[in-house]
Formats: sequence, C-alpha cells, structure tokens
Amino acid sequence: MRTLVGSVALAVLALAACAEGKKPVAADGAAQQTAATLTLAGDSLRNPYAGQQQSATEGAKLFSSMNCDGCHGGGATGFVGPSLSDGRWRYGGTDGAVFQSISQGRPKGMPSFGGLLSPEIIWKLVTYLQSLPVPKAVPTQAW
Amino acid sequence: MKLSQAQVVLLALSSGAVTPAAAQAAPEDGRWTMPGKNYGSTRYSGLDQLTPANVQRLKPVWSFSTGVLRGHEGQPLVVNNTMYVVTPYPNVLYAFDLTQPDYPLKWKYRPNVDPHALGIACCDAINRGAFYADGKIVYNLLDGHTVAIDAASGREIWNVKIADLADGETTPMAPLVVRDRVIVGPSGGEFGIYGWAKGLDLATGRLVWTARNAGSDSATLTRPGVFKAFYDKGPNLGLTTWANDTWKTAGAPVWGWLSYDAELDLVYYGVGNPGPWNPEQRPGDNKWSNSVLARRPGDGSLVWAYQFTPHDNWDYDSNAEMILADLTIAGKSRKVLVHFDKNGFAYTMDRATGEVLVAEPFVSLNWARRIDLTSGRPVLDSSKFTGASRGNVKYICPSLEGGKSPVSAAAYSPRTSLFYVSTVNLCMDYHAEVKARIRGTPFIGASTPYVAGPGGHMGEFIAWDAAAGRKLWGIKEKYPVWSGVVVTAGDLAFYGTLDGWLKAVNARTGQPLWKFKVGSGVVGAPITYRGPDGRQFVAVYAGIGGDWSLISGDLNADDPSDVRDPADFIKDLARYTTQGGMVWIFAL
Repeated sequence: MRTLVGSVALAVLALAACAEGKKPVAADGAAQQTAATLTLAGDSLRNPYAGQQQSATEGAKLFSSMNCDGCHGGGATGFVGPSLSDGRWRYGGTDGAVFQSISQGRPKGMPSFGGLLSPEIIWKLVTYLQSLPVPKAVPTQAW
Repeated sequence: MKLSQAQVVLLALSSGAVTPAAAQAAPEDGRWTMPGKNYGSTRYSGLDQLTPANVQRLKPVWSFSTGVLRGHEGQPLVVNNTMYVVTPYPNVLYAFDLTQPDYPLKWKYRPNVDPHALGIACCDAINRGAFYADGKIVYNLLDGHTVAIDAASGREIWNVKIADLADGETTPMAPLVVRDRVIVGPSGGEFGIYGWAKGLDLATGRLVWTARNAGSDSATLTRPGVFKAFYDKGPNLGLTTWANDTWKTAGAPVWGWLSYDAELDLVYYGVGNPGPWNPEQRPGDNKWSNSVLARRPGDGSLVWAYQFTPHDNWDYDSNAEMILADLTIAGKSRKVLVHFDKNGFAYTMDRATGEVLVAEPFVSLNWARRIDLTSGRPVLDSSKFTGASRGNVKYICPSLEGGKSPVSAAAYSPRTSLFYVSTVNLCMDYHAEVKARIRGTPFIGASTPYVAGPGGHMGEFIAWDAAAGRKLWGIKEKYPVWSGVVVTAGDLAFYGTLDGWLKAVNARTGQPLWKFKVGSGVVGAPITYRGPDGRQFVAVYAGIGGDWSLISGDLNADDPSDVRDPADFIKDLARYTTQGGMVWIFAL
C-alpha cells in the first residue's frame, strides 16, 4: 500500500511537471504545490463544508469573482465549458474528484486553480456546485 | 494583379458590371485559393455553368466525415485539382485528390495541438480556414501556432508560435498572405488580451512585425507622416482613449477576415471588442477596439483607422469582413470598402481615406439613432447605455451576436452590384457587473439573454445596395442565418442555415430555387470551383457550432456528462440538428 501511495504521488508529480511544460493558464503557482497537497486530493477526501448553506453562498460569489462563470455559464448551466448543474460529471462527482478538477485542472481545457486558490476556497466552490438542484427530467428532451 | 485599362473595360462589358474593382476582375481561374476567394473578399466566382434555369438539378456527388464534431466554420480551398480542408480542433489538414474517382486523400497532416486551448477558446474550438500561397497551405492551429505545409506533399515547412495561451490568446482565424508576408491575429476579446496583428515571413515563419491594436503610437505602429485618419487626429489615440492603463487588457482581438488592395498596398482588418464587457471599467473611446485598421503589409504601419462603435457598451466586435468594390455613389465611381458590423449598421467607406460615405441599418436596431457622417460617430440612445451601475438594461437590438455575425462572410456580385448577407434578428438584455482580470480566465462581466427581434423570425438572408444603403429583398429564416455566402456569374447565391440546409437563390430576385439538407447546421461558407473535368462544383461544410454550441448546448451530443436545457429563445433548434462534421460536394 505504501508503494502504491508512493507511485501515485510520483505520477501526480509527473503530471504537474507535464502541465508546467504545457503552461496551463492560471497555473503559475500550480507547480509549487507540494506532493503532500496533491496526494491528499484523492477520492478519500471529504468536503469539510458539505451541506453548509453559508459556504454554498460564498461559493456562488466565488464562482463569479474567479471567472468560473465565464466558461461554465451563470448558475453553472454550461457555456463553452460543460454544465456543472446537470448531476453528471465528466471526471467524477465525489468531493475529492470535484476538488481535484478545480485544483489541478482537466485535460479538455479546465485550467488548474490550485496555485491561485486556497483549499478552503476550493471547498466552498465544491459546496456551491453540490448545492445546485439537479433537474429531474435531464435524460429526456421532448417537444 | 494589375489589369490594363483595356482589360478592365473588356471585363466590365462582358460582365455587365459598371466598374468592377481590379481585385475582383481577374479572369476566373476556377480555383479557391484564399478564404474570401480574392483579395477583395467578394466571394464572387466567375463560374456560370450553374444558373437559375438548371440549379434544380444540383445534387450531392460526394461527402466526407471530418471525424470532428466542433463548429465547422470557414471553407475549403481548391488548388491544383486538390481540395484542402482544415478541421476544427485538433486542426487536421486533409488534401483530397479531385482527379481520382472518390476523391481519395493524397495525405493528411495531424499537428500536435495543445488541448489547453480548448479552455481558452471563447466560442467553440473552431477554425476559419487556410490560405494558399507559393506552394504552401498556411493556417493557424487553435493553440497559438501558425503552420506552413507543403501543398504537394503535406510536409511541415514551418511551425511557429505566434500567441500565448497563458494570456488568453487562441488563434482560430484564417491568415492573409500578401507577397512574402503572412498576416495573423488572435482571439481573446473575452480574456482581456492585449490585441495585435503580426506579420510573418512566408518563407520561414519568422516574425517581421507586431502591431498592437491599442497603446502608444510606437506599439500600434502609428508613424508620423504615414497615419492620416479621416476623423480622428492627434498622437497616441490608442493610449489617450483609455483610462489609466486599461489598454493593457484592451481585448481588441483579430479573429475575422482580412482584405487587401494591391493598388493602395493596404491590408484591412476589423478589430474586436474591448474588455471587459462592463464599460464602466474602461472609460474613453477605447481605440482601436471595434474598428477597421488599414495597414501596410510590408512593415505593419497604420495608414488609417476608423472606429465603428466607440466605447463599446454591447460587445459589438468589428471583425466582420471588409469587402472591396467599386461602386457608383451619387454619380461618381468610388473605391469603397463595405462592412456589415455587429452593431447593425452597414458602412460604405472610401477605402483610401477611411471616410464614411453611407451608413444605414441593415437590421432592426435601437442602440443608436444614426451615424453622423460629419463626425463619423454614432448618435446614441442613452437609455441603452450599459454598465454595472445601470443594472439590467432591457431590450437592446441587435444582440451581441450582431446584426450579422462576423463569422458569416457576405458576398458581392459585380454583375448585380449587390451584397448578399446572412443576418441575425435577435435583441438582448444586458446586465453588466464588475470583473477582475485573472490572467488566462474569462474577463467578461455581463449576462445577456436573447429574444427574437421584431417580427419573431431570428434570421434573414438579404440583398443589400451599398451605394444607396438599402435592402433590396430578404428571405426570412426561422433561425439566425450564420453561414458565409458565395455568389456566382450564373446569378446564384448560396447560403446555409442553422437547421442544416444548403440553399440556392436567384441573386437578382431572391427567389428560392434549390435546397439540400446537409445533416448538421451550416456555420461555414460555401464555395464553388471548376473540377478537373471542367464542371462547376459547389462545396460546403456541415457542422453546427461556434456560438451555437455555447448558447444552444442541447445540440451537443458527444458528452454524456454534459446535458443541458435548450436556450430559452431557441428551444426547438435541437429538433432539427445536432453536431456533425461533413464536407459536401454538389454538381449537376
């Protein structure tokens, strides 16, 4: 198990190095992340603010002030970036997976914000996204 | 090329035109070597086999899936019996052999394009096409690189970085090549970039000049004795028309089409919106956002400039094409530039001086009452001013999609002296808010829901008399018309619709004559060319996208984790189309 954790940490470090080479946006500080931070951001992570209305409200403000809405649309309903309010997740919807998407970025254009935002702020964004009501009739579109 | 007086007269007589511009009077070679067909960007072809009498028999003869589902803007090139197709990201270049049955590929070129560009491209991962020059296919990759590919072999001759993704720049526009200069520019008006045009060396890709679209005279290449604007005087206009250092995040991108007048040796290009969309963060005219700039291709010097929408309140980019034509205005032959701006006015300008000769609305608009030809400035309606302190400003026409999208390049026929234009009839509310710029993230700051404009139809394909400033006829369409146009010596005009039809109409009367469902909405531009067998062909891309993949997200079908409701104003578009990516060829 120790070996496994070690290799994951290495893989994440390699990813960070790779991302640095590609010069992702808003990632100037991303490369400064420690391996410890990165290994923590796994599926085992739990949102410390889960279900807290105050955090969700703050997260909604951050969603706009950090320009998340510029790509994902107002209310996170999707724009050039995917909808984050449809209850579906390209990279997983667990606490840790959403945290990781924001912190480290994703390959189809999501910048890494880990160097820009503290874990507390990222968790508030996660809380906001998790607070959005999922529409009931998502799978069927009828006219 | 320069024609003799006698050649011009002969061509004028044979075509029935009054005075065709040198740029468009070249004998028809049957090819399509640059985005706008010729340097005048007229998208007029001298081919005349297809006519109103026989176009009903036009049928598809070939189609090819590009394998890409993003918005297929732009147009193929046809040179040396080869068709060249650039796909949206990942920007594959296909070369089809038109001399062989089934048009097999000669080669394909697959560049390594940075996927981070997908998160920086404001409006889908599109590409607007390539330019053929000196045996090379020159085009931009989305991630800020320009490449030159050997047209015969597909070998990469050069690949140079021109733009910076980390600063919010991407490069979907089509370059223009003049002599040994490749002229390129970035997108990023929604990312607070510091906009520019660059001149590269055609042989090597080496950077020769960089001209900013805002900032000091030295940055904008505004040189004493060279720059002579018709309306705006004084030094450092790109600096003094911005508060503090807001010019550093001017936006002012170059993502549209470029034109060139060989006689005047001037390249014309439109500049996009200033950033952010909240105008209160950037007091002043914000020159040269939302402007047309005329530059020398050799060294980039600015010769004249004109701003269509000073201190933009509405995201009215001016990246639409500048069509060069010779028109008779008030009894005098004038060398003009005609531009259909997002702001809803059609401008007919003297292309040597930048004087506005005619400026009339070509769609319903209410942000301005008219253009004052003495000052060159719009006469504004103050009730339509926007800004964070003004809250939600209701019902502004046109919407920020524009009275015409700069994406959908219009066409001009010297035979009819008319311009053929895809237009959009949408209005918007505009709720601005204060935004901070975070490098490499969107710098927008406005919510702008749309509604259909007066009449309820969302689009119209029109014929425009730019000498008089009036619409001759129009064909109303249910959805915004967002395709480019080609018009021919057979007096046919072709355009496509968002619900996936390619249509042919009589260029003189506007009578609809033919249509074919190409499978996905058309946001590209049809072309026509002469095949190796001497026949006339028409080609077009199908593949809805661009703004429509953002606004009408329920068209997207390739991602199970991204399921959206339709946009309020266009709830049923997804009944008729979804994403695609096809090249179609038609013939009799």
